[in-house]
Amino acid sequence: MAGEVDVQSDITHSGGHRNTLHLRNLRKQWQILALQVIATVALVWMYLEVIGTYVVGSIDHTMLFDTLEVIMGSDLPLGDWLTGVGRQGLARFTVPLVLGLSLGGSMALLAFQPPKIQQRIRIGVIVSLIVLLVGRMLLAWVGGMILEFRLDLPNQNELALLQWPLMLILSLLVLFVYLLPVIMGTRGIWGLSRQAVVWSIGFTLLFLGLHAILTFPVVLNQLGAYGEGLSTLDTQVGTPEVGLLGFKLVTSQQLSLILIAVLMMVFQESAFGVIRHLEYAYRLPESCKRDEEYVRQMDNVLNSHLRHTALYLTLTGLATMVALGFHGVLLEIVTTTTGSQWASQVSDSIELRLTYGVVISALLFLGVAATLRLLVPWGRLAQLRALVVGNLVGGSEDEAPKENVWL
Amino acid sequence: MWTRKAAFTIVAGLALVLIGMMISNHQMMILGFAFIAFITVNAWMTGHGDIEVQRTLSADNLYKGDDLYVELLVINRSLRRTQTLEVFDNVPHEMKLRSGLNQMRLDLAPGESARIRYVLRCPLRGHYTIGPVSLRHRNTFNLGVEEMRIDHHSDIIVFPQVKDVEEAFLRSRTPKMYTGATTLRTPGQGSEFYSLREYVPGDPFKSINWKAYARTGELMVNEKCRDAVTDVFILLDAREISRIGTVLKNPLEMGCVSAASLASYFLQRRDSVALAVYGDGLSYLPPDTGDKQYFKILSTLAGVSHTGEMPLQAVTNSVSGRFSRGSPVFVISSVEGDGTVPAAVRDLVGRGHDVTVLTPSSIDFERLVSRIPRLSYEVLRMERQNRLTSLASSGAQVIDWMPDMDLAQALMQVRGY
Repeated sequence: MAGEVDVQSDITHSGGHRNTLHLRNLRKQWQILALQVIATVALVWMYLEVIGTYVVGSIDHTMLFDTLEVIMGSDLPLGDWLTGVGRQGLARFTVPLVLGLSLGGSMALLAFQPPKIQQRIRIGVIVSLIVLLVGRMLLAWVGGMILEFRLDLPNQNELALLQWPLMLILSLLVLFVYLLPVIMGTRGIWGLSRQAVVWSIGFTLLFLGLHAILTFPVVLNQLGAYGEGLSTLDTQVGTPEVGLLGFKLVTSQQLSLILIAVLMMVFQESAFGVIRHLEYAYRLPESCKRDEEYVRQMDNVLNSHLRHTALYLTLTGLATMVALGFHGVLLEIVTTTTGSQWASQVSDSIELRLTYGVVISALLFLGVAATLRLLVPWGRLAQLRALVVGNLVGGSEDEAPKENVWL
Repeated sequence: MWTRKAAFTIVAGLALVLIGMMISNHQMMILGFAFIAFITVNAWMTGHGDIEVQRTLSADNLYKGDDLYVELLVINRSLRRTQTLEVFDNVPHEMKLRSGLNQMRLDLAPGESARIRYVLRCPLRGHYTIGPVSLRHRNTFNLGVEEMRIDHHSDIIVFPQVKDVEEAFLRSRTPKMYTGATTLRTPGQGSEFYSLREYVPGDPFKSINWKAYARTGELMVNEKCRDAVTDVFILLDAREISRIGTVLKNPLEMGCVSAASLASYFLQRRDSVALAVYGDGLSYLPPDTGDKQYFKILSTLAGVSHTGEMPLQAVTNSVSGRFSRGSPVFVISSVEGDGTVPAAVRDLVGRGHDVTVLTPSSIDFERLVSRIPRLSYEVLRMERQNRLTSLASSGAQVIDWMPDMDLAQALMQVRGY
């Protein structure tokens, strides 16, 4: 609002090094770095969970590369050590993942360079790609024409020189598509780009949606042999293995799916949180950026963000687990308290284990949990907690207001 | 209140659950449940605006163009954290932030406090109020927003600028415009003894003459002479027409500056100054002297707004009976749209008053905001000159005040006509 103004004359600083809310300082602050690291870890973990559940051994890139090599009758330009061909399980994605993170990081780094340098690097990359694609062919063709002093169209041998660069670019493109969530996510987190984060999440959701449609039994039957490779999740019927407080709530496959959902939210909220806080700091006028009060409150806000990310997203995961296994919990309670056969009969019912029973009981739990917000005096409890904590640490000191600071 | 993001999340969650049910896809359902659970868990997170605020101002009254230093102390007196809270101190839109910011995003622990300090520039005179303090609690994940308000106000008065006019009078053709301090032999507020009289209820005790009481056995009080040299009457035109020009430069603004400056000058000479502001109605401040009168005049001028069409003749008819004989009268008016000005001025001169008409040139003010063709301007200017010449011929001293002219410079042409 006030624009870039001078430092308030009444604000004094003591000591040598001090924190300010300038972006160059803020980007090195531990809370911001912690949020960015959390977001990156969540992104990588989510990606590994998704590909581990749906892609590896089903539709992963190594299978596509194998198919391409069979069709072309030759090896692809990218080495197997780089593509992960020949490895098993998630190991197929180890090197590509590192490459994706590096590329995303480089794009983030590029975003912070001056526009002139950005333009130069972009032009350099485009020119390199063009040279890579048609350089050898042009050299052979034009060189041949000059040496033999004739003018004609490129022959088959010269055109064949395009095959290697085309295959290279195709391989890179395939890898890029597979790694798009990681590349865009890393670029979004470290390059402070909301758009890139949205792209990353959007692409993951799009993949999950497409996979869900393709694995829908009716569609899957239509796909015939093509759909055999798709991994379907038989999660509706299964014995819960993972639990809480002695109650078995979800299967390990369900836990993996919950983990994907929670990690997606951790990634999204941490990445957006960093961008939101840095935007706020950026918009502050110069005098506020140097004001220790603003710096202190920024610390408080960032600490709260970290606490809430850890607490509320863990609770979200637990609440989802309980919601999915809530029918089991209810039946367990009825069985243990009444000992009636009704509960075991109901639990044996296929209806309850199928979709409708799970959805109704889960929504029932979430409804009750939401109502608890109104029934339980959280405010009072928080006050009580603060009182106890305050007493334990010796109480907080109220700062007496100054008489008149301007006089 | 839930934000758009929260609404989108809950709708997406329900949609995923329903679609998951339809196509028997557990992944979609679980994703949907996770979204709904996220909203449910976040509903438990509440912040609060149960805080105390204290605002300290560098001054309650200041002059136009001065800087006002504001400090807002925000204290969390409750036993729980406020969570992320945006505090916004509402300042009048006429004021400009010069330094700092009137808002802060904070998260106060129990008993913790924060200070928001900013500097405001006050470019317009008037009566203003800073406050209330607006609070907005925003969920960490931007899922809910709750707005609150603390009715904490601070009133300030921005007086019109007071310019130094003494130099101008010294340089005027008459060595000294008015005769200087001579005691008026009339009772009133002052320092010199005038007479003794009997005590009447309401008289201040400090004015009781205890020796006279001891001598006569009756309560007697000392009456003082009026200290004033003379009474100076200022008539300020605040009609609707005086708004011509920009917000900062218009006849009314210049009139307020000149009225304040003249009042300051004469009150410093210990004269009595009266102020009559006319526009929608007539606001009359009787002649008095001292700092209290100065404050009253500045406060009145701070609150003057352009409204109404009251003619000058109506004003002089109403208040000229209260004017002391021979006292100087200043008429500050653009003399536009009021055909009674010559008659009113003639009437005042005829009563023996020394009338000075200080007239901001409204045509030139209009030129600041709209383009007037050269020929039209010349014609209008000539009409105005004729009007001023006519006033001058009535025996008044007329000052044509151009927008870019300083007050002291304008007053130098006091005998120009």
